[in-house]
Amino acid sequence: MIKEKSYYLSIFGVDEALLAMLVNEALSRGGQYADLFFENTSYGNLVLRDGAVTTGGSHVDFGVGIRVLEGEKTGYAYSESTARADMIACARAASAIAESAQAVVDNATRAAFCGTPNPSADRYPVKEEWSSRGMDAFLPFLRDVDAEIRRRDARVEKLTAVLSFQETDVLMYNSLGELKWETRPMGNVNVSVVFRQGSRIENNSVSRSWRCGAEMLGPSLVKELADAAVKNLDARFQAGRPKGGRMSVVMGAGSSGILLHEAMGHAFEADFNRKGISIFADKMGQRICSDDITIVDDGTLKGNRGALNFDDEGVPGQRTVMVDRGVLSSYLHDRISAAHYGVAPTGNGRRESFRYAPIPRMRATYMESGKANPADIIADVKQGIYVDEFANGQVKIGEGDFTFYVKAGFLIEDGRLTMPVKDINIIGNGPEALRDIVAVGNDLEIDPLTWVCGKEQSVPVSCGIPTVMVKSLTVGGE
Amino acid sequence: MEFALRSGADAVRITLNKNLTDLVGILNGEVDKVSHSLDRSLQIALFVDGRYGAFSSNRLEKSKLEEFVLGAIGTVKMLEEDKFRKLPEAERKVKGVSTGMEPGLYDPACLDVDETFRRKMAMDLSLWKEKESLEKGFTILSEEAEYSDSVSDLVVMDSDGLYARHCETAFEIVSEFTIADPDGRLFSGYWWDSSWRLAGVDPSACARKALERTVEQMNPMAMPGGKYSVVVDSECASRLLSPVLSALGGFAVQQNNSFLADDLGRKVFAEKMTLVDLPLEKGATGARLFDSEGVATREMPVIDHGVVKTFFLNTYIAGKMGMEPTVEDSTRVKLMPVGECRDIAGLMAAVGEGILITGFNGGNSNAATGDFSYGIEGFYFRDGRIVHPVRELLMTGNFKTLWNSLSLVADDARPCLVKQIPSLVFSSADMSA
Repeated sequence: MIKEKSYYLSIFGVDEALLAMLVNEALSRGGQYADLFFENTSYGNLVLRDGAVTTGGSHVDFGVGIRVLEGEKTGYAYSESTARADMIACARAASAIAESAQAVVDNATRAAFCGTPNPSADRYPVKEEWSSRGMDAFLPFLRDVDAEIRRRDARVEKLTAVLSFQETDVLMYNSLGELKWETRPMGNVNVSVVFRQGSRIENNSVSRSWRCGAEMLGPSLVKELADAAVKNLDARFQAGRPKGGRMSVVMGAGSSGILLHEAMGHAFEADFNRKGISIFADKMGQRICSDDITIVDDGTLKGNRGALNFDDEGVPGQRTVMVDRGVLSSYLHDRISAAHYGVAPTGNGRRESFRYAPIPRMRATYMESGKANPADIIADVKQGIYVDEFANGQVKIGEGDFTFYVKAGFLIEDGRLTMPVKDINIIGNGPEALRDIVAVGNDLEIDPLTWVCGKEQSVPVSCGIPTVMVKSLTVGGE
Repeated sequence: MEFALRSGADAVRITLNKNLTDLVGILNGEVDKVSHSLDRSLQIALFVDGRYGAFSSNRLEKSKLEEFVLGAIGTVKMLEEDKFRKLPEAERKVKGVSTGMEPGLYDPACLDVDETFRRKMAMDLSLWKEKESLEKGFTILSEEAEYSDSVSDLVVMDSDGLYARHCETAFEIVSEFTIADPDGRLFSGYWWDSSWRLAGVDPSACARKALERTVEQMNPMAMPGGKYSVVVDSECASRLLSPVLSALGGFAVQQNNSFLADDLGRKVFAEKMTLVDLPLEKGATGARLFDSEGVATREMPVIDHGVVKTFFLNTYIAGKMGMEPTVEDSTRVKLMPVGECRDIAGLMAAVGEGILITGFNGGNSNAATGDFSYGIEGFYFRDGRIVHPVRELLMTGNFKTLWNSLSLVADDARPCLVKQIPSLVFSSADMSA
């Protein structure tokens, strides 16, 4: 959502002359670049538990972060007040990184992205602003979710549904003279259900999240959440642990994109490579996997959690091909790493809030579709595992060792899905796993879950993948 | 609070937070990052017409706050009634904790810390100038380090007369290395320390420990899967206890999303497992005299010789469950020592052969069933001595089964950790490789 510039200047109580003065103050002790990041976030939430919406709240987070760069070094400070004196003090604190005592705006190594934010090119247009309606308007949606899931399956014992939403006004200004502004919406629904079958208890959690307004709430979303909440419920009660060890892993389309996020995406973030600590640090331009594989990090998917008109450094959101038909073609850059490598930033400079300096982060990371039929991929596996529901993942950047936690899946025996499995961790090595992808399906799905990446700071992301087969990973079991 | 009461609230609880943090980061022997942050926020819990809502804002100007509170009261009135929402009874609330200094976690030395000192502490964390002499059979690719200090101040008050304050200083250091072996394989490792006392952290020792832990990981070998005895380092042992504490939490129990929901008063863990909560130990990391409702914390058994002794029940959940409230959450739990071994070396000697777990790579657990699966970092040991690091190893099981196999607990919990969980031994765990 992009409103008039005057709206943003007014909210933060600033004008363009003051912004310029603050940047000059930030560079008064030296440094080559400075930027300001103003944020005004209004957050609301409602909780349905035990059949009633009895908890709700709203939260306001407001402030400005000021950053000074001297070479690749960062000085950062923030203020929760935009009073002139508070911001000047903040700028002086950020300037502490600089030691040259002489400001030199280095346009040669800092790309400028001039132009005015364009509402017609907005990647998260809003039909119904969250703040335009009272919270009571959202209560029926949560009640409908509760009723529909209970109607679908009598085994529901407890259900918690949480609706949370936010609108974040952002104003950015930097020493290149660029001024950018926009409002970033986000709506999330998370549903946790506890089921009882005899003496056995099982749980399931489902979520949906988009950068959009309150128009996301409606009967189709109720149905989608209910479908997901009771999906494979019988299998969940029958599920066991496989015999652990190395085996072929078929990863279903959609949320299996966590493989890309953990095993590859983090290792492609340029700060790790700039510091030489990524396992892919010396692989640019080299073939790292089959030419069936193209991996993208994309900020242009309309309404996606990872969509960005601008990143948090004012760089336009864009689509970045990291692996082009098997060849490592680009890292994910913020302004610091882009200057280091002598390339343009890729719009991946992101931050959790004004309290943090931006660093290279993923947006929506996915693999493009291949040619294989997903059913044929499964049919080709003699013994292995099929997984398509996940909870979380992690990676060690230097070693490339990654893990992800599988909530549900199936054994594959002689090309057929057999015993349901759940609650197992899978571990592998990023470059090896990438090389071991031997089949890519034709069924790319971008996952709609509420994915959050926690690299130093929490930012919303998403992921996607077509059905793929990894020849060998280590699967937890008994 | 008075404005909210005048505007229609029946009861109010206010929590004010203030935190001041300064940080200096080092990359490869040079200052790479400095940051300064001051956070203030107000949280307000409103009880209106039998309804409840929780709100927060960091816009503390009077006019903004009044506007915010009026909107919040309007929101609460839209919600459904909940008769169990109320302030805690007066006799449960903490008293006489009004200066914030009572837990003994404030070091006035924080007032003397300036930018020059911070840079010196951060630079003292760096071993980069010794790089060439340190590189014996490996190359140091990257060294990152951070020094930070903070002062936090928290006040909780409510409309029934509660006023409680907690002040704390924190001085933290962390060092991280990435190295390459002669074949170009990368290994990373870190170490950290923190204390509420400035004199409680030693930068030089931290960096050397970080490098030592990184170098130890070179030449890892795959292990066959199977059942192993495991020794878990105190640095990471709390990872295996946290899901147990979560399962004792009121919300999980009330929602039946807890594998211990039916186990209050039952013996479900090993006889050797005794866990106590010690929130009142003055000057100890994590000490806290009241919870988020202002309820006084107290020393209490959590698990006594394998018997579950308590759930963590705040006023609301206790009311819903028809039980006596306790406290919102565990504060500073301590797992009591078992046997004569004082440290990891003693535990490995006692066990003979098995896996020493020094860290976890990912993994998770199922709150309803207690099933878990974690990636393991650590070493294979035999005859009480480390043989080699392990790679791509997973530990999978169920928490009830795992904690039933607890056989030894050392006495080496680090003072800087809130959860005082020493190194320990499980006699059997399933490993996949």
